[in-house]
Amino acid sequence: MIDGFGFQYLLPLGKGTLWTIALCATSGILGSVLGLILGLAETSPSRVARWLSSIYVNLIRGVPVLIIIFFIYFGVPLLFPGIDIPGFLTGVIALTGFVGAYMAEILRGSIEAVPKGQNEAADALGMGYFLKYRSVIMPQAMKIAVPPAINFLIALVKDSSLITVIGFIELTKAGSVVSNLTSDPIATYLAVAVIYFVICYGISRLGRAYETRTGIRSDALRVQKPLRLAGIGKSK
Amino acid sequence: MTLYFGDLLPYSSLLLESLWVSLYITLVAMLAGGALGVLLYQGKSKSSRLVKTISSAYIEVVRNTPLLVQLYLIYFGLPQFGINLNPLWAGLVALTLNNAAYTAEIYRAGFESVPRGLSEAGRALGMPPSLVFRHVLFMPAIRNVFPALTNQFILLFLASSIASIIGLPELMNTILNINSETYRAIEILTVGGFLYLGASALLTLGSRIAEAKLFRWAVKASD
Repeated sequence: MIDGFGFQYLLPLGKGTLWTIALCATSGILGSVLGLILGLAETSPSRVARWLSSIYVNLIRGVPVLIIIFFIYFGVPLLFPGIDIPGFLTGVIALTGFVGAYMAEILRGSIEAVPKGQNEAADALGMGYFLKYRSVIMPQAMKIAVPPAINFLIALVKDSSLITVIGFIELTKAGSVVSNLTSDPIATYLAVAVIYFVICYGISRLGRAYETRTGIRSDALRVQKPLRLAGIGKSK
Repeated sequence: MTLYFGDLLPYSSLLLESLWVSLYITLVAMLAGGALGVLLYQGKSKSSRLVKTISSAYIEVVRNTPLLVQLYLIYFGLPQFGINLNPLWAGLVALTLNNAAYTAEIYRAGFESVPRGLSEAGRALGMPPSLVFRHVLFMPAIRNVFPALTNQFILLFLASSIASIIGLPELMNTILNINSETYRAIEILTVGGFLYLGASALLTLGSRIAEAKLFRWAVKASD
């Protein structure tokens, strides 16, 4: 039975890889939409919208991803009793909620980084909110958002490994299954790590190539504050 | 579905104890990883080509693979070489090794943020090299990345919950155990979530105060 890790085990790992990619792609896209809405709400003139979205963003950003995953895993079946929710869906919901908060924070920062004069010029020209954001603010903010969004995408791929705890067979869980079959955890998890590395390093290389091509400078020093506490230690 | 938090009351001291375990492993991993990060930064920036390659490869590999897989390699993999670590040690080693790679990059950003002209000016004024390093390079560099370092500390605190998967009895693990005893999943996850949130808010507050106290001088090295 114990025959060590061999090439025949690359197939289940490959399947797991595809599920990991599917998980990240789906929640990445859905989460970006959520993040866009939340980010716009956080910078909107409406106080209620700002308040609600920043509560959500800070709640999600202040707790571990595992808490979010288990919350969805145990919570969604309570809301829909008797319905069997597939692991993939649970994973997508949990990760979408997570991505939304972080993307919102990135977008908020990017929108605020657009020079104030642009905002005032658009107002002076009599542009409405929609026109101003669509044609003046967002095109510039999106450019600023690219480098941190790429960094976050890498974090998403890594954090998607936590979906393993609900038993959904993505790459890490596939690794655990193969590891148990082969009794060769070193080789198995090294293979898993190599796959993650190829995906993540690939994304960062592509991102860097995109940044040089479009001339957007990635700023290594840009710090994202984990939590914003009203009035405490305002940034210099 | 009704929420009832009463079942959780007997567990409150257990929760606080495990929160302390979480904070403890975070602190140890931050200190050990922060020290290791200095070595990694030194290795990456100024040493022989071989050491340079090894340190940058280490940083890239750790930063581009999930902490969970690193933890699995240490906890399940090392016994193949006869090294058996209990969950506490495996968690500490994994968090430390992981954190070192991230802090090394933060140090790099910090030292790169200090203009070269400053050190040259220091030397031109006749300051001895050790003094130039301490006052003109090191302190401004750390000051510039202090928010990034404290941010990393809080991310590490949240990431320490991953050690629950191998059974380290920290906060997340305790939350899951309480859930399997009481079947009050939403309630215990809510309470646990707020404990994490409160602790990270306190850590943020503490780091802002520390930043204000540590770096009170007026001149800012960058800009």
